[in-house]
Amino acid sequence: MSDAGSSAGARVLVVEDTPTQAQLARALLAGLGHQVELVESAGAALAAARTWRPDAILLDIELPDYNGFELMQRLRAEGIETSVIVVTANASINTAVEAMRAGAVDFIVKPYAKARLSVTLANALEKRALVTQLATVKARLDRDQFFGFIGASTPMQAAYRTIESVSASKASVFITGESGTGKELAAEAVHRASPRAGRNFVALNCGAIPRDLLESEVFGHIRGAFTGASADREGAAKLADGGTLFLDEIGEMPLEMQVKLLRFVQTGTFSPVGSSRLEKVDVRFVCATNRDPMLEVQAGRFREDLYYRLYVVPVELPPLRARGEDVLMIARHFLTQFAREEGRGFQGFSAAAEHALATYGWPGNVRQLQNAVRNIVVLHDGDRVELDMIPRAVRRAPGADDKAPMAELVPAEMPDAPVAVARIVRPAVEPTDAAPGEPIVPLAVMERRLILAALRQTGQDVPRAAALLEINPSTVYRKLQSWRADGLLPAD
Amino acid sequence: MSDLGFAAQLAEDLTPADLRLVLGVFRTDVQRLTGALSTAIAAADIVAFRRAAHGLAGAAGAVGAVRLEQACRQAMADAVPMAQALSEIDALAAGALDDLAVFLAKLDPSP
Repeated sequence: MSDAGSSAGARVLVVEDTPTQAQLARALLAGLGHQVELVESAGAALAAARTWRPDAILLDIELPDYNGFELMQRLRAEGIETSVIVVTANASINTAVEAMRAGAVDFIVKPYAKARLSVTLANALEKRALVTQLATVKARLDRDQFFGFIGASTPMQAAYRTIESVSASKASVFITGESGTGKELAAEAVHRASPRAGRNFVALNCGAIPRDLLESEVFGHIRGAFTGASADREGAAKLADGGTLFLDEIGEMPLEMQVKLLRFVQTGTFSPVGSSRLEKVDVRFVCATNRDPMLEVQAGRFREDLYYRLYVVPVELPPLRARGEDVLMIARHFLTQFAREEGRGFQGFSAAAEHALATYGWPGNVRQLQNAVRNIVVLHDGDRVELDMIPRAVRRAPGADDKAPMAELVPAEMPDAPVAVARIVRPAVEPTDAAPGEPIVPLAVMERRLILAALRQTGQDVPRAAALLEINPSTVYRKLQSWRADGLLPAD
Repeated sequence: MSDLGFAAQLAEDLTPADLRLVLGVFRTDVQRLTGALSTAIAAADIVAFRRAAHGLAGAAGAVGAVRLEQACRQAMADAVPMAQALSEIDALAAGALDDLAVFLAKLDPSP
């Protein structure tokens, strides 16, 4: 496709069944620097418009098969965007009005001089370029999906624009937002929108990896570096070479590790644990935290120099309660997805159910909404979700400060999680047998402990917990329902 | 004044090669379409007559042969009987082609 904004070098289709007219138009247009195709009928014009995608069409109205007005209708019906200039022997107002009504951007009266044709065509192409630009900008402002995000609210549009603006750069991105607002999704969006999209996106949850394993997870280790290091192993930094390294919950990183990370950010070099050999990589850093990073600096928990190295482009993800209509848009999206996965017939929500969802505060944000919809789909079926299918805490406790619904799914206090969470990069040392002398408990008890621990580990994210446990999310929901019914979990 | 007034404008707008090409195509169009008009009258085919008159009007309009174009449009509108219209069109077409020959000769003085 040629540059529609340029008045020279455009693709112009001439639809004319009189050879003299056609050759004259071809000669004049070629003299103006345009590419020209000649066709003699409306049918041939439609076929050429489909394949050649002209920027403009110089159209005679009287054609041997059907007329130019009908051709314009067919072009519109097929969604072929092009500037049509009607060529007429009649300069009357009626002809002009009729041509414009039919979709032409202008008309030109025969015989026409080169200068007249040049101006008319340039105006038409400029108008088309403006319309195209307007449509592009409008689409950006109105978009309701962006690299996995669902939502068209104003604060999300701002986040989309920031991510899009920063994507081409190598600048570090610092994502903030409450738990469950989609920080990892935003990090992935930065990566996928960037020229690094073809390389690795490596995510590391700094808060879920034991302190003594974190350095090895980031920088890798050599064989014998520590007990259990039976072979050389690459870390996240090496795996992300040429791509993006996402450090989630960066605020949880121990201070001594922050020093090593700062050196890595400054120089692009690091040494694997146990090695003195320096390795150089090209990594784009994206970090996230659900805390206020400046407050962490002021409290002495986060190094100021590292903060300024990483906090180059901030992206703030709004809480779900600030996203207005996005709540229902996201709920409908999840309902469609989960109903398909679970073989349910849900087509939508009742008005009362939508009201309950829209007025609830969602302290756990999108993740909580996702869990609630999954819960509904797993435990119910029907054409639409009714109010009584909505988890009780959501129904009865509208308001932004409500913290109850997480407790409805899982208890607030649970045993400590036994394993770290690190996506893509696996922990260096995986737990094996139970320790000697560890008390043996019934399998059902151990199962409950593990599921609850996984839920706590993932911030009550049932799908992620299920993924860690390598079971279906539906199983987790059913177990929770069953334990609640048996009084093994706190009631709502 | 010849009936090819617009040709002077074309000489400014087109390269000599393109101008010769366009006027050559016009000559071919005139000969082909006046022939088509005669055939249509012989066959009493008014649809074919109008179609040929429309084509000739377009060709004449393109090079600024105004009188020939007007005669063709009157013929398309059934303003005059077909035979009478053809007679007038033939005369104007012949004049246009003569003018064209003169114009091309001026354009390229070599024999």
